[in-house]
Amino acid sequence: MTAQHTDLLKADTDDFSRGLAIWEIASVVTSALIAEWVVLSFAGRSKLITAIPIGLALALMLYSHRHRGESWRDVGFRTDNFFAAGRLLLLPTAVAFLVIIATAWFTNHTLLTGSFRSRFLWLPLWALFQQYALNGFINRRAQLALGKGTRSVVLVAIVFALLHLPNPLLAVVTLIGGLVWGAAYQRQPNLFALSLSHAAISLTMALTISPGWLNSLRVGFKYFG
Amino acid sequence: MKKPSTSLVHFLIGKSVLETLLVGALAVVTYITIFPPYFHGWGEITETGVSGWAVNNAEPWARVDIQLFVDGHFVAQSVANQSRPDVLAAGWSRDEWHGYVIPISALAEGAHEARVYALHHSGDGARKTLQLLGSPIPFSIDSNGKLLNARR
Repeated sequence: MTAQHTDLLKADTDDFSRGLAIWEIASVVTSALIAEWVVLSFAGRSKLITAIPIGLALALMLYSHRHRGESWRDVGFRTDNFFAAGRLLLLPTAVAFLVIIATAWFTNHTLLTGSFRSRFLWLPLWALFQQYALNGFINRRAQLALGKGTRSVVLVAIVFALLHLPNPLLAVVTLIGGLVWGAAYQRQPNLFALSLSHAAISLTMALTISPGWLNSLRVGFKYFG
Repeated sequence: MKKPSTSLVHFLIGKSVLETLLVGALAVVTYITIFPPYFHGWGEITETGVSGWAVNNAEPWARVDIQLFVDGHFVAQSVANQSRPDVLAAGWSRDEWHGYVIPISALAEGAHEARVYALHHSGDGARKTLQLLGSPIPFSIDSNGKLLNARR
């Protein structure tokens, strides 16, 4: 085989890998949209049926990691860079916290408009799952398809915002959050630090911003009812 | 990171097929729940209004809630619970109490169209849907205010 043939073969393989990465992102996003829009509108709040698209997405992500030879550590389930990632996230999380508090104060003239609900105890785990899907999977595939840097971070942010439609305020907040968390992950891939930042911001929003503004953080078809 | 092979493509295709089946099944089940194919009925114009019958084959002893629309506007709601022995004799129902008569008044002279719908509740009353019973009933009102059947 000549050097030219080898180069062409490598280019084909790279195109295949990039295309497949985009397909993987689209597939996971589709599952989330089916859960948010189709299952909720057709099957009500049946957790069993919602588990089907979520389970399929999770199965794809796990299979893909195994298939591509990614370890849990590669994905971001690690502790060695926790403080380095935490340092990256501290300032944006603190700024977000202050902006949310200020917004709550200027719009409601009070800070605590929401009440603590028992489901908030699940928030760190829910945030970890979301950060795993968003950064541990989608960000990694976006980097395969578009390379490390602005383009892949923007894709991650757009995907994150898309999944929070039609809630307009939440879509804007998640677009900004997606940019910050996506960029931080590319520098220090640590899902625990990201999920702490995510949970802290979500909890602050749920407790301070008027439920009417955020429609109780509802997304998808649930937003309307 | 290892290069992907076609098995990942197969996995993606399989996942898409399963999700398509899930969405399709949900759509069909939802359609059947909201618009169950159990309602039968018929309506015709009389001198004073619309008369007809309605049966829910899934619950043959139940009385069907019906709504009358004329020219696309709601006119009245009623229950098909009047005697129609001819419906029982024809084998459409298990008892004769499936008839209805809804008077029509205060309509302008000229051609109109009536539609009688069965009212169906689903989702523990969260959803209400209307299903057309029989076919639309064309009629007209003459200068004396009398209803005339326009069906051929």
